[in-house]
Amino acid sequence: MASKIFHRGPTSPEMNMTPLIDVTFQLIIFFMLVNNIIAEESVQMFVPQLANPKTREMGEMERIVVNVKPVEFTRNNRDMDEPANWDASAIGVKVGLRDFAVGDSEAITEALKQAVSESPRAEDGKSTLEVLLRADAAIRYDEIQPVMAAITAAQIGKIHLVAYMPDEGPGSK
Amino acid sequence: MPETQVKPNSNNDATVHHESRRSKRSQQPARMQLNLTSMIDVIFQLLIYFVVTASFAAGEGIITAKLPQGTGGAPSKAEPPKQPLNIILSSAGTFGYNIGIQNQPAAPRDFEQLATMLEGLQFDPERGRSGAYKPDHPVIIKPAGNVRWQHVVNAFNAAITARYSNVSFAQATQASN
Repeated sequence: MASKIFHRGPTSPEMNMTPLIDVTFQLIIFFMLVNNIIAEESVQMFVPQLANPKTREMGEMERIVVNVKPVEFTRNNRDMDEPANWDASAIGVKVGLRDFAVGDSEAITEALKQAVSESPRAEDGKSTLEVLLRADAAIRYDEIQPVMAAITAAQIGKIHLVAYMPDEGPGSK
Repeated sequence: MPETQVKPNSNNDATVHHESRRSKRSQQPARMQLNLTSMIDVIFQLLIYFVVTASFAAGEGIITAKLPQGTGGAPSKAEPPKQPLNIILSSAGTFGYNIGIQNQPAAPRDFEQLATMLEGLQFDPERGRSGAYKPDHPVIIKPAGNVRWQHVVNAFNAAITARYSNVSFAQATQASN
């Protein structure tokens, strides 16, 4: 037996790369998809930066993001230290992946109702969908309040306001 | 007509067979090897790129809030009427703010001071607070319509910091300036 092995001469050790490549491709596909979803859902904006924030991590949950979109800006034409110093009007509302006009409360309510009815249920039959309200720091309250009213009208009693975590946000970088 | 011409061609089996035997013999000892190194290099570059860019919305967190009162939805069931603690926000200049607490003479300068004052107004023997309002006392944030969202959420955060559990938003009041 041993002599047979020696007859072949020295063998070069080889790693089997196939499972590694399989896993890596899976990871790439996963991150590409996740990246697309995140980019679609989050509109570019500065969310409020708080004094002594009590924000917590979003964690894993069934969520729908309601974005109140600010006037478009770049990192050059906006004051990084004072995000509130920007155009105060909202140019649109994005619920999940759908766009609405700011004043179109009924359509926003309708979209949220639909999202609630399609969401998975908890054991007690209630919807597990959580609503995140993501609005730019500079937008006036009377532009956002009708959006909150539209969320209320969809029989949603609780929302999560999105703000920066401690030591995050444009001013701290 | 072309069908009859095909037949003699297909009978040239001998030469085809001969060739395949030769190539089989010469291929057998050398095993085919794909060089995977460069592909793995590229894949890892892609992987690193997507891992890094995926943490896109990081740095944002959430504060859970109740929704504004008096706009649709069922009214809360027969709670004894309490005089809520109103926090009034008005705008100053283009993006500044003024804070006021209803029935309190002193006005807080900023939101950290607002949190401190709200703590002082709270009744919580466990934390040594001897104010008039229990932690579950309704607190309502009443911003003027032209106050920026940043300040509204800041006031909300201050009330949460002072450990009030029943904080909600009012409808926008008419802007005074």
